[in-house]
Amino acid sequence: MTHGRSWLIVVLLVALAVIPAAPAMAQTRFVFANESPYDTMDPHAAFDVGRVAVRLNLYDGLYRWLDNPPKLEPWLAESHTVSPDGLTYTFKLRRGAKFHDGAEITAEDVRYSMERILALKKGAASIFATMVAPNTTKALDRHTVQFTISKPAAIFMAMIPEVHVVNSALLKKHEKDGDWGAAWLTSNDAGSGSYMLSRYDPAVGFIAKRFAGHFLPWGAKPIDEIEFRLVKEDNTRVLGMIRGDFQGTGGYLPNDQVKRLREASNVKIVEQESMRIMMFQINNQRAPLNDPSVRRAISYAFDYDGFNKEILGGSVERNPVPIPNNMWGVPRDVKGYSYDLDKAKAELAKAKAKVDRPITVGYLQGFSQTEQAATVMANGLRKLGLETKLTSELWPTMVERMKKPDTSPDLVVYWISTYYADPHNWIGEMFHSGQWGTFKASSFYKNPKVDELLDTALKATDRKVREKAYQDAARIVVDEAAGIWIYNTKYFGPWAKNLEGIRFSPIGNGQEIRWLSYSK
Amino acid sequence: MKTAWFVLSRLARDRSALLGLVLIALLVVAAALAPVLSTHPDDVFELHPSERLRAPSGAHWLGTDRMGADVYSRLLFGARITILIGIIAVGASLAIGVPIGLVAGYYHGWLSDSLMRVSDIFLAVPQVVLAIAIAQTLGPSLPNVILALSVTYWPWFARVVYAETRALEKEIFVESTAALGASPWRLTVLHVLPNIASPIIVRASIGMGFTILTAAALGFLGLGPPPPTPEWGRTIAESREFLPDAWWYATAPGLAIFLTVMGFNLLGDGLRDVLDPRLRRSRTARDG
Amino acid sequence: MRLLALALHRLLWFMPTLLGLLVVTFVISRIIPADPVALVAGETATPAQVEALRRDLGYDRPLPVQFVHYVAGLVRGDMGTSLFTRRPIVDDLLHRLPATIELTVVAMLVSVLAGIPLGVLSALWRNSVLDHALRVITVSGLAIASFWLGIMLQLLFAMRLGWTPLNGRLQGFPPRDLTGFYLLDAALTADWGTFAAALQHLALPAATLAFPALATLVRFTRAGVLDVMQSNFVLYERAMGLPRPLIVWKYILRSALTSTVTQIGLLFGILLAGAVVTEAVFDWPGIGTYAVNSIVRSDYNAVMGFTVWAGAIFIVVNLLVDIAHTLVDPRERTT
Repeated sequence: MTHGRSWLIVVLLVALAVIPAAPAMAQTRFVFANESPYDTMDPHAAFDVGRVAVRLNLYDGLYRWLDNPPKLEPWLAESHTVSPDGLTYTFKLRRGAKFHDGAEITAEDVRYSMERILALKKGAASIFATMVAPNTTKALDRHTVQFTISKPAAIFMAMIPEVHVVNSALLKKHEKDGDWGAAWLTSNDAGSGSYMLSRYDPAVGFIAKRFAGHFLPWGAKPIDEIEFRLVKEDNTRVLGMIRGDFQGTGGYLPNDQVKRLREASNVKIVEQESMRIMMFQINNQRAPLNDPSVRRAISYAFDYDGFNKEILGGSVERNPVPIPNNMWGVPRDVKGYSYDLDKAKAELAKAKAKVDRPITVGYLQGFSQTEQAATVMANGLRKLGLETKLTSELWPTMVERMKKPDTSPDLVVYWISTYYADPHNWIGEMFHSGQWGTFKASSFYKNPKVDELLDTALKATDRKVREKAYQDAARIVVDEAAGIWIYNTKYFGPWAKNLEGIRFSPIGNGQEIRWLSYSK
Repeated sequence: MKTAWFVLSRLARDRSALLGLVLIALLVVAAALAPVLSTHPDDVFELHPSERLRAPSGAHWLGTDRMGADVYSRLLFGARITILIGIIAVGASLAIGVPIGLVAGYYHGWLSDSLMRVSDIFLAVPQVVLAIAIAQTLGPSLPNVILALSVTYWPWFARVVYAETRALEKEIFVESTAALGASPWRLTVLHVLPNIASPIIVRASIGMGFTILTAAALGFLGLGPPPPTPEWGRTIAESREFLPDAWWYATAPGLAIFLTVMGFNLLGDGLRDVLDPRLRRSRTARDG
Repeated sequence: MRLLALALHRLLWFMPTLLGLLVVTFVISRIIPADPVALVAGETATPAQVEALRRDLGYDRPLPVQFVHYVAGLVRGDMGTSLFTRRPIVDDLLHRLPATIELTVVAMLVSVLAGIPLGVLSALWRNSVLDHALRVITVSGLAIASFWLGIMLQLLFAMRLGWTPLNGRLQGFPPRDLTGFYLLDAALTADWGTFAAALQHLALPAATLAFPALATLVRFTRAGVLDVMQSNFVLYERAMGLPRPLIVWKYILRSALTSTVTQIGLLFGILLAGAVVTEAVFDWPGIGTYAVNSIVRSDYNAVMGFTVWAGAIFIVVNLLVDIAHTLVDPRERTT
């Protein structure tokens, strides 16, 4: 009896396993599989590419980066003016733009948003704090807002899209103990963007519904409901795309997976040049790495072609300088380093410092590409007779370690993505000695000449002046081998074949869904 | 007490125990002769990116991994790590657990109760979780894995020894020896210990299998020795992103673990049958 | 009477054991090198802000004081707040408990419903083909690394055949939250689509988790049945000519169940330990992954909370098993 019953259950289970369970996807629904969790809905709490979908779809800024090469387009603002001394930026807001709860967007909301960013000290605050002081932003009238920066900074405009405008009245209502409504906004919506939050679970993701009252007109066949879901494993995302469970996912998958997707009949790969450099930071302050010859030797010991062409299947471009190849400011005559063990040994011989201990190479837990890069590096160093010790951390832990020269590993491998489209995003933040303590500056490099060049570039508004300054700085940094720059990514975005209107920008990675529609 | 020869001859008649011995022997041979038996002994460190993820062939019997290294050769060197972890961890657990069990079994009262409660503490949390905590705290490396495993496995030995010692105290020879004035030290080492050697040996064999599985789990979770160490659990973790195409990459190390652990389990079972048939029917509810 | 004594003795030792467990975990969690307070304060926090946060969270006080504070909180039912989710740990655990329980229960059901009958049959039809096949399963059941088994099942059923999803508890958002058990909630709201999907997602992880438990059950049931079959009273009844099925049903099954009850404690241990690794392989949002994540992220309080929960449950379950065992089979002595 129990025997028969157990067989019945087995049969039942098998039967149910075979019946496909996914309901047919309504044409106006879109599901995106994301590799990192959406642990907060607060647009001022995070700044990273992994969670950009919240900011792009639920919120609006004064301007927005669109397309590739990225262009800054007016968004909530119609126009702006800059004072002759470069210290005052005045924005005119468009009229009639509304928040999701119907309230009109005013300059006071913009002012509140900037103050909130500075007060919460998260996300983009680290960059704004160097330019904007608290309580200096003014709402001149209902539709005019004015920012004052402490010294001329060319990147201020580039960063303006990160001031996501939040509903100040709504947040003031939900404020607790002076938290600027942070506790509430973690799981709620105070935005004006194309979509409105309808469901959220930090372990799952979020669902948002189309906001018909958005200031930008909608196309003929807009997508009514979007869902951004956490799907951690590459393989699951790939399988899900092939099965039609998802209509989009991140475009930086390993080459092997991209190949599988190309072969799927309902998936198309959108290929774009992106701006995302993978590199090894070298701890320039720690002996023996404070000797440029040692650093050059290490730079000659990495098998760039083996890694880029074989392991990554040629899906990336060699990028020998600390600025993406397709960005302005790159000194085109600089070839950089190649895999050459003889040159490496020659440099080691020239070095004043002796390498008499294992070199620690840090990589990121959960990012197997960094593990593989670290392994390739260790292999090259072994051939030079140098020992290595590989160590892995979670990204936040690694960021923590990279804040101080004492705790940072000798070498750390990771990516720097496009937070804003300007060379400062890379070389500026990486090699200016004033940036020590941020994760981008874990090279702990200090060169007064480079500092001077970078300061010039930041202050100037003439593109030609800036370009020359960045090129000169890059030449010095490469010559001193302050870091090892491996590749610049290409974006291979998997999307459902019947999706139209995808607009890719290196900031945003195509995750703005209001442009998309399904062709039949 | 049964002589070794007697045990072996009885064991030889048990086919599954024999199979177990053979598997263990294979493991030892693979580990000891790895440099000789492997086709690409340098692949423990060497990379050949242009040959990555090749299917099994004449050149690479079990294919290549994500770096182009020979899976078969790395498997053989991985056997060394497996044996090392197993022997040291079980040895250490034994060295800690047996004395504790003896003391707890010999004495009565609060000392004995406390010792057993301490072992309860370590048994209350799944071994794997405690091992993870220790390995994570100290940092992923081979010595730390061994430490974590030793610290979490000794209670099994302690329990067995405790139970057996308590069972023995009713035996006449123990009472009489004690009555004759033998010191506790003499009593336990010279008289009790030899009589409980059998369950300890059985526990050790089963413990090897268990420890190897837990070590592989730690390696899988990234808490074992760092790359490029060819540890079996880590290799399986590495292989996941290349499935289903590079199926050999995940299958080979898993089979290696399976055969190894099965070897120790079969041997343990066989030893148990031979050494102490009473144990076969033991219902000790904590049998790991 | 002896039962009462046993229960009292165990309960008396429950507290110190739990306390000891807490001390061990506390020590381990506090010597973790990474500084989680700095992590939580964020990338842009200044050292002064980190220290302020540390004072707020009470981590600047001496360790013994922190420990006492923690235990006092426990007595109140407060396990503290997770550094990362910023929610009370009790809430976190309760939120994730249903996932693990659902998985463990299904796995337990599968192993019991399949294991006991198979064990009985294996004993009754000794040395048959079925028996030998089952002995292979029994032996391999405890020799296969469960994470590897899970991956192989994924390879075959999810990737190659496409019969089941690859991992996760469910795609997308769950059914209406009534009990937290997706199967129950879906059934109660007649959401059969979700019910089937949840079942599909459960298939592979439950199978992976059940395998070693199944193997153990088959083995012990078989041994138990064989014992009984040899016993005098069964031989007597067979000699009396009672029909075999009746004997099977009356005695053998009952004693098989007896040995199963004893094994529940063992099973529970296997399942709980297996859950941690299985959840990792299948990305199952349960207590196991919570424990591992907390350890990896140095979330002190969460690690302690998990340990308290796991330890308490383990001790309680073992106590219940011992009691049940004494009740069911008074002939046997407990050690």
